[in-house]
Amino acid sequence: MRADAQLSKGDLILTLRLSLLRRRRALRRLWQDAPLSVLGGIGVIGFLLLALIGPYLTPYNPIANSFADRNQAPSLAHPFGTDNFGRDILSRIIYGGRNIFALTGSATLIAVGLGTVIGLYVGYVGSWLDQIAMRLTDALLALPSLLLTLVLLGALGNSRFTVLLAIVILYVPIVTRVVRSVVLDVKTKAYIEAAEIGGESRFHILFREILPAVLPTLAVEGALRFSYAIFLVASLGFLGLGVARPEPDWGLMVSEARDWYALSPHMLFFPSAAIVALVVCVNLMADGLRRLLEYSETD
Amino acid sequence: MLHRASPAFAQTPPLVSSVSLRPLTARAGVIRVGWESVKRLDPAFASSDSEIAFLTAVYDYLVDVTTTDAVAPRLAQSWQLSEDGRQYTFKLVPNAKFHDGSALTAEDVIYSFNRLRDPAVGSPKISLFDNLENIGAPDDLTVVFTLRTTEPDFIYSITDNSAVIVRAGARNLDTEFIGTGPFKVERYIPEDRTIFVANEDYWQSGLPYAAGMEHRYLDSNAAIEALRGGELDVVLRMPNARFIALQNDPNLQTVTFPTSGHDALRLRMDSPPGNDPRVRKALKMATNREEINAFAQLGLGSQGRDAPIGEFFAEYFDPESPLPPYDPDGARALLAEAGYPDLTFELFVPNTGTRPDFAVVIKDQWAKAGITVNINLVDEATYYGDDGWLEVQLGITGWGARPSPQQYLDFSLKSDGKWNESRIADPELDALIVKAGTSVDRAERIAAYKAIQRKLAEDGPLIIPYFFPTVGAARKEWQFEGGFAVQAFPGRTNFSRARQA
Repeated sequence: MRADAQLSKGDLILTLRLSLLRRRRALRRLWQDAPLSVLGGIGVIGFLLLALIGPYLTPYNPIANSFADRNQAPSLAHPFGTDNFGRDILSRIIYGGRNIFALTGSATLIAVGLGTVIGLYVGYVGSWLDQIAMRLTDALLALPSLLLTLVLLGALGNSRFTVLLAIVILYVPIVTRVVRSVVLDVKTKAYIEAAEIGGESRFHILFREILPAVLPTLAVEGALRFSYAIFLVASLGFLGLGVARPEPDWGLMVSEARDWYALSPHMLFFPSAAIVALVVCVNLMADGLRRLLEYSETD
Repeated sequence: MLHRASPAFAQTPPLVSSVSLRPLTARAGVIRVGWESVKRLDPAFASSDSEIAFLTAVYDYLVDVTTTDAVAPRLAQSWQLSEDGRQYTFKLVPNAKFHDGSALTAEDVIYSFNRLRDPAVGSPKISLFDNLENIGAPDDLTVVFTLRTTEPDFIYSITDNSAVIVRAGARNLDTEFIGTGPFKVERYIPEDRTIFVANEDYWQSGLPYAAGMEHRYLDSNAAIEALRGGELDVVLRMPNARFIALQNDPNLQTVTFPTSGHDALRLRMDSPPGNDPRVRKALKMATNREEINAFAQLGLGSQGRDAPIGEFFAEYFDPESPLPPYDPDGARALLAEAGYPDLTFELFVPNTGTRPDFAVVIKDQWAKAGITVNINLVDEATYYGDDGWLEVQLGITGWGARPSPQQYLDFSLKSDGKWNESRIADPELDALIVKAGTSVDRAERIAAYKAIQRKLAEDGPLIIPYFFPTVGAARKEWQFEGGFAVQAFPGRTNFSRARQA
């Protein structure tokens, strides 16, 4: 890295161009090998955009009832139809997507961040600290995720914050293990030894030398965690947990639509489809990230 | 299928009923009814629809209650109230026999009722008979109930779901099912089904028309699909939206009846802001009851007017009670005047039935009057289990169907009521409730009930926007003598007059 600093401006641009070129080449190869994973990535970006700007596009309030508009089938005015309270389902899905991204996104980021720091540290330092950390993660991994979440919701109150906390508690040990396993491999490499002999600080070694090697794995793991978190939040919403009516929540919408499946099947279809589509897209994207990682390793 | 009538049986020549001289066809068919599974079958403890449906099949009540809230004879063929209004004398049918062959006598009736009011048994129904002094039997076929004070609705306690007649001295009522009823238990398979066969010696000769009955224990979704697919013949309890979908099914007949069951949104009156009559009035003005009724009951319910007395109690109901008109802007102004311009409520709602829908609509309606409502859905069993429902400031409480309005008033609107959840304490209202519950003068009772409705409409802690319907769907292969009728408490629906077409 120090050598980089001495590069001229021209060299830097060249390096950037090269890396972009390499990335573009990798993406092209990915498109040939697994086009679905590219589409998945585009889908996730699409959902994200919808969550960000969608609320400015829809003219409907997702929680305002309208007696005259009850149970309307999909139409131009309501592309996804309306529910039994006359609320626009597309608007509810957009706002619900926003909630799900905010909750699962932030929870996943926190979990990945914490897991990475812990994984780097215990993996690099090792010894008894590593042993304790690993036995603790074993214990946490042994708990079924939905059960642990239900217990937490019961103990700490039924709120979005509790759900966030539950996701963090559930996923930190998983991320820790993944990061640690990569660290165990990386720390035996010669350049780490060189850095140690060079008298670099532990912080420098952990975050400047080891972390870059962990990042690709972390990206894949993060994406997978994100998809599981979406599923968990949707399951909780279906059970009516972590969300208060009449807030739009995909899982809760599916649950509310069950009694209406014969009269207004669109009420059930669209939120279910939204959950499936987002989870599938995120998984495909994770698969794509994994492949990209393999390409760079084989390069 | 199990227990279909055998061909030999079907060829039996038609019998002639001694009562109606109408030719009777042989019993045929097994009527399959979907219920949720049962836990307690001892009459003293049975409570759910499926449990009461089991009792209705196996046992008889002394008197029955009809879909229009009339009292009808059953094991008591007639009864009389004494001049002073304190003695009910019941004449029993002479030919009723238990499934073990023993004859029904007054002793069995006395035992059955004494068992319900015996503290050692511990039935939750014990308080129904607080006013009962004693039960006597001048002869084998006469029973006399003597009350401490007049109680014109006491006859409804005699019709109570738990008040079936068991054999004198009967024990193990959770496992031995010897009644006088139209069906005998052939096999009870926990969590799966109960198989009943017709009681050939039933005292109502010719009944039941079916050769047998099966109660299949399924959840509501599975039961509805089984009904559509022809695996069940009758389903009586289901969400309104499901019921409406079944109304279009050409293979089904559907009915709906009004009941007295309702959801009450109630506010505590012993603390701010509910202790200010302007706030109570503003909340009434901010509420559009017709819209709540339509959203939650989908046109199947009957309209409520903030009192626990509705269309079901036709004689007592006042459709003109003076409710403040719907006026969200007026409500907002009134709240500002009362010093609550930005009122925020935490609304506690049990997570069953149409209560969550009610809450969603009230949140939307009250928002138009500047009132913020945060809905807190709570697990029903927990909410009622630890008495939390009596403590919360604003909550929705579900009240099951009852044959008389008196219980709602005695329990929840009298200052010393055991479930006075709003903490209302109005001596005038108390006096009216006592008068309505004890007067033997019909006109006086009606006047008292109407005065109570007037008070609750003008200023009360309750918002009652609707009364539940009771619904039923049956396959057209079955006909019901007197029409397909579902009781306000669906478990009380009697299938002895169901006939396979």
